[in-house]
Amino acid sequence: MSGHDSKYFSTTKKGEIPELKEELNSQYKDKRKDAVKKVIAAMTVGKDVSSLFTDVVNCMQTENLELKKLVYLYLINYAKSQPDLAILAVNTFVKDSQDPNPLIRALAVRTMGCIRVDKITEYLCDPLQRCLKDDDPYVRKTAAICVAKLYDINAELVEDRGFLDALKDLISDNNPMVVANAVAALAEIQETSSRPIFEITSSTLTKLLTALNECTEWGQVFILDALSKYKATDAREAENIVERVTPRLQHANCAVVLSAVKMILLQMELITSTDVVRNLCKKMAPPLVTLLSAEPEIQYVALRNINLIVQKRPTILAHEIKVFFCKYNDPIYVKMEKLEIMIKLASDRNIDQVLLEFKEYATEVDVDFVRKAVRAIGRCAIKLERAAERCISVLLELIKIKVNYVVQEAIIVIKDIFRRYPNTYESIIATLCESLDTLDEPEAKASMIWIIGEYAERIDNADELLESFLESFPEEPPQVQLQLLTATVKLFLKKPTEGPQQMIQVVLNNATVETDNPDLRDRAYIYWRLLSTDPEAAKDVVLAEKPVISDDSNQLEPSLLDELLANIATLSSVYHKPPDAFVTRVKTVSRTEEEDYPDASEGGYSESPAHTANIGASSPATTSNAQSAAARQPAAAPAPVPDLLDLMGMDNNSAIVPTDRPASPAGPPLPVLLPAPTGQGLQISAQLIRRDGQIFYSMLFENNSQIPLDGFMIQFNKNTFGLAAGGPLQVPQLQPGSSASTLLPMVLFQNISPGPPSTVLQVAVKNSQQPVWYFNDKLPLNVLFSEDGRMERSTFLETWKSLPDSNEVSRDFPAIVINSVEATLDQLAAFNMFFIAKRKHSNQDVLYLSAKIPRGIPFLIELTAAIGVPGLKCALKTPNPEFAPLFFEAVETLLKS
Amino acid sequence: MGIVFTRLFSSLFGNKEARILVLGLDNAGKTTILYRLQMGEVVSTIPTIGFNVETVQYNNIKFQVWDLGGQTSISEIGIVVESGNIFIETSSFLPEPYWRCYFPNTQAIIYVVDSSDTDRLVVAKEEFHAILEEEELKGAVVLLFANKQDLPGALDDAAITEALELHKIKNRQWAIFKTSAIKGEGLFEGLDWLSNTLKAGGG
Repeated sequence: MSGHDSKYFSTTKKGEIPELKEELNSQYKDKRKDAVKKVIAAMTVGKDVSSLFTDVVNCMQTENLELKKLVYLYLINYAKSQPDLAILAVNTFVKDSQDPNPLIRALAVRTMGCIRVDKITEYLCDPLQRCLKDDDPYVRKTAAICVAKLYDINAELVEDRGFLDALKDLISDNNPMVVANAVAALAEIQETSSRPIFEITSSTLTKLLTALNECTEWGQVFILDALSKYKATDAREAENIVERVTPRLQHANCAVVLSAVKMILLQMELITSTDVVRNLCKKMAPPLVTLLSAEPEIQYVALRNINLIVQKRPTILAHEIKVFFCKYNDPIYVKMEKLEIMIKLASDRNIDQVLLEFKEYATEVDVDFVRKAVRAIGRCAIKLERAAERCISVLLELIKIKVNYVVQEAIIVIKDIFRRYPNTYESIIATLCESLDTLDEPEAKASMIWIIGEYAERIDNADELLESFLESFPEEPPQVQLQLLTATVKLFLKKPTEGPQQMIQVVLNNATVETDNPDLRDRAYIYWRLLSTDPEAAKDVVLAEKPVISDDSNQLEPSLLDELLANIATLSSVYHKPPDAFVTRVKTVSRTEEEDYPDASEGGYSESPAHTANIGASSPATTSNAQSAAARQPAAAPAPVPDLLDLMGMDNNSAIVPTDRPASPAGPPLPVLLPAPTGQGLQISAQLIRRDGQIFYSMLFENNSQIPLDGFMIQFNKNTFGLAAGGPLQVPQLQPGSSASTLLPMVLFQNISPGPPSTVLQVAVKNSQQPVWYFNDKLPLNVLFSEDGRMERSTFLETWKSLPDSNEVSRDFPAIVINSVEATLDQLAAFNMFFIAKRKHSNQDVLYLSAKIPRGIPFLIELTAAIGVPGLKCALKTPNPEFAPLFFEAVETLLKS
Repeated sequence: MGIVFTRLFSSLFGNKEARILVLGLDNAGKTTILYRLQMGEVVSTIPTIGFNVETVQYNNIKFQVWDLGGQTSISEIGIVVESGNIFIETSSFLPEPYWRCYFPNTQAIIYVVDSSDTDRLVVAKEEFHAILEEEELKGAVVLLFANKQDLPGALDDAAITEALELHKIKNRQWAIFKTSAIKGEGLFEGLDWLSNTLKAGGG
């Protein structure tokens, strides 16, 4: 849109939609174009103009590229909300993909990829196929990306149509941009697939390296990222690859630079010649340094990546420490990262310079930065033995400034230094003790107390110092309390005189009787026991020599480091977390493998005590049982199973993905039918469900009594449908506090009760220890709907006509809202209520469905509702209208949830 | 400014614009007819999923011709309710559901029949009469093309008239022509009739 088109955004008129509709149907081209612009403007500001779908799509076949682009934009936005009408656009896509203008062909193929409507994807395959073989490289490269998009929508289709092979062919394309996009598409497809799809061979390698030099910067990034996954066969090949890639280090785009660095670092693993490695390290330094002259955000990303690189190959930047010195106007996040890298690069050679810097930072105003600087000095002291003394003198100087938080931070690091170099620098303790009163932070206090305890024999007034802390013992945070306890014990062991003896009494009393903290109490009791049984042993334990520490607080595990290095220039290397820690990728595993239902005959149970804890355990990764998956009827595949939680309670094999089941809110427990107080501690929850054409009684037994319960048996009273247990109840002995769930297969027409239909199901459960428990359950009619309830349209019509009007019953559900016809149909299909037809009646949708209960009693159902408006009318025609109340009850429960 | 003049001229010299729908069952030859009219040549076509729209200039009339896909979509079937009883028809007696969006402001319908597809003439008849029932098409003139005359066994215009019960058409101008889109026969005769009828104020 040109500049003055902003006027389309400002309109206050009423009845905009009909007005736009009229304009869109105008016979004048310019008017139509204006109208489409208005529509797009309305769309951009968030107005719903989806009702104009057909009118806008009708403007699609035009010579005017601008208009076409606008219509495409509209399509991308609304096709999903109008999947039925989106089909109208198909022919235009087909035509446009053959347009003489390559821009239009590419535009068509790009838009096609963005329209995520299942119904039309199939029609778009032919145009895509053509565009992949187009004469124009711009079209081919757009088509390549479209394949990746299509793969995301329908992976199977992409494979069936051979698009993956077409993509692989494009790697040999003579246009480097096409190659780059094909690589990008293949890499993206590979990420979502669990099978190897894209592997670089030595022949593709040559092609990629050639294309690398000629394509755009982002194309280079794609190719470099793909190359970094290539495993060279030997050192020679690795050297060759690296040599071809090295010029990329000079690129102005930092993404290219980082990708090149990543690629080189990975290939370097294979290179054995130290000369070559040294040379490469030298070559990588300048580009990395250059990254630090970019804007702060990019600097930050670069620094996070450099942090990793330095851990792997410190030599690369060993001589460049100066570039990591903080500038006064660096943002704080950059400063913090620079400090981290300075510590990593600090060496005996440059430590004087570094210490000067740190000392200066320690006098700045930002408290966090100052603290980190002080800590950095300590970490350098720990890292570099020869520099430790210089570091300590700097710390002492800083303590003399008497800035509270500097002092406290210094004391914390000095404690670490004492641990690292025992018996070397204790002379400074006196200086530390001077600042005792100013300590108010737990960590500093704890450190100071540790120092006093550890060196009690050298501090003349150690008992006095500790005593001053003891006064406030009960109020101290746990970490200080623990240190005080240990330090007092140490003091007592070192100076077993009267003063410390009294102190230890007070502390032990405080730490055992007065406290709620179990850690503190346990530690105190251990000391107490030690001291009272064998003071010598106590000495050996408490005053034992401690292992020397090293600074690894910011080192990553080698395996993690390698993984992060392989992800340089991605978010992963900025977070310092592996990608799967923050990206949940859905691998394309077919649904049947994800879901697993126990065989109907199994009726398995589990003894899992933590009933709901299994939700977390059941991930898609859990191995599945192909046999039972195959046994499931395909018709039931998209259908949510009635209740979720009893599945969770099943054995761990049943891998159920909770998010896959929109119809059932996560974790509705089975209804409790026999509460624990009534059942002398036995609680029974149960519900009838249907699975794989079979009715089950899903039950959960919880034993809250004090005795183990076993010998469970179940009996059903006569009921309308003659439901009875189809086998013995499989419940193991229940220990107190444990639970078990089971699926009891049910059979029909065993003990039919006469009289009018009723949903009441009376159940009796007994076990060997308790009296017989009776409770009532409800029989939801929907569990009886059989899988063969789908009717031919003609049969439906005939049946409807053949039944007298007296067989038609209807009921209104004013509270039920239907928000989406499709969702409702899916929901009902899950319960074997099958969609026959639908029609529009004024503003209402009328749906026709069929269902069948055992003994072949058909239900012909008519649902009338306006979408999104509360109120549903349900009419039922059936040869047995006496079931209607039961039916309405079931429908209400289903649609309410 | 230029546009204003164009409009002025067209109204002065009878240069009219007309909106025309090409309808018919799938595989009747609608798209082939459209491009035969527009470009004068036979293009190879595939079943139209969606629509084609082209402008055809003929006899001083600018026809904006909409060729709507004849594919019966699977998910939708028609249901009529008559005094409480439902009748579900399995044949496509109703026009494609989305066709309706194209009905307003239509001056003429070209209904294309595959004269050689005798099996489906009944379906074509039902669809055709259903279209005529549409309120928004009440004023449209109807041109029938008994297409595919080049094929052996094709019925002639009289037989098609009979089969489609054209004599039932009331209050509407209509005509039927034998055509062969492949050979290019009959199409422009039909268009002649259409332009004359429209100029005479039929549309």
